Amino acid sequence: MAEEVKASWSKGEEIVRMLLEKAPYAEGTVRRERRLEFKVPADRIVDFLRTAKANGFELLLQITAVDWLKEGEIELVYQLFSISHGTHAMVKTRLPRDEARISTVMDIYPVAETYERDAHEFFKVTFEGNPKLEMPWILEDEDREVGVSHRKDFDMLGYVKRKYKLLDRFDEDKENYVI
Amino acid sequence: MVDWRLYEPLINFARKRSMWIVAFCTGCGGIEMPPLMTSRYDLERFGMMPNPAPRMADLFLITGYVTPKTLKRIIITYEMQPDPKYVLAHGSCPLNGGIYWDAYNAIKHLDKYIPVDVAIAGCMPRPEAVMDGIKKIMDLIETGKADGWKRYKENYEYYKKNQDELFGEGWREKTARRWIPWLMGREKKREEE
Repeated sequence: MAEEVKASWSKGEEIVRMLLEKAPYAEGTVRRERRLEFKVPADRIVDFLRTAKANGFELLLQITAVDWLKEGEIELVYQLFSISHGTHAMVKTRLPRDEARISTVMDIYPVAETYERDAHEFFKVTFEGNPKLEMPWILEDEDREVGVSHRKDFDMLGYVKRKYKLLDRFDEDKENYVI
Repeated sequence: MVDWRLYEPLINFARKRSMWIVAFCTGCGGIEMPPLMTSRYDLERFGMMPNPAPRMADLFLITGYVTPKTLKRIIITYEMQPDPKYVLAHGSCPLNGGIYWDAYNAIKHLDKYIPVDVAIAGCMPRPEAVMDGIKKIMDLIETGKADGWKRYKENYEYYKKNQDELFGEGWREKTARRWIPWLMGREKKREEE
């Protein structure tokens, strides 16, 4: 069974080989059919995405961030989609958690502006060159001032209890039940 | 001088049969509104109608979870409505947070911020449950017990205190001015061009 799951997708391998020839600094694998995965060092992400766009990956679907607390890294996932090849591609790059700075890709994919604002607000990744990073986005000002983020080390439940004045279920002097 | 209290039963009967709804859907319950208003459950036979302007509305349906961002707009819309005004809260989220009890971005107790006349439990309540709640609020109106708008005036300090605790003092002005720096920046750019 395991071999069947790992079944290679020859067209995808061709695409990966073609991209890696032009961008030798990256690593690429085929996850499964129609799912490619690339790992790029953070300082070459602009070059890589430019190469990818020139080679048939027309769309940027999303930029998401994953917080790896133990490794002390934040992983950015750029999800690309190619109409001409008919495949997804996940371009992953890792940043140090303490100083998460990366250059913007707005000039390659204009839609990146919005997703970069999102990643900046919730994961505190700074995208250099994006003029709208500090513009109000989803969070309200009072949340933003406190520093609400979806990073793993933020005490979200404690913040919720403080914000809405909820007492713990097991508090002795509770006046206010949550559940 | 006519004592209008004499006519109150008649007026209340008329009020209960002509509730107009603010078309303000929050959360997931907005999806229950189309079947309610259209031919399957047909709320219009009760004299109800969705109305785009809060200035002409009586009934405010809070259809689902309320985020702080929405709550600001809900409070402003609620205060724009003329008296008498009634609030019907759908689902468990306005009651106690529901499945969002630990979310940073959902209000846990709606009745701390605006008075709620009738709350329907359920996640999400079916249109039948909503109709049951509407029947309930009609009864309350007829007997004069739907007095949320009076409670809001009498206990305004309490509601104001809770709102200010959550949003910070002067949140109305702050929210209104939030976008001005960015709009000014855009105008400056336009002038430069």
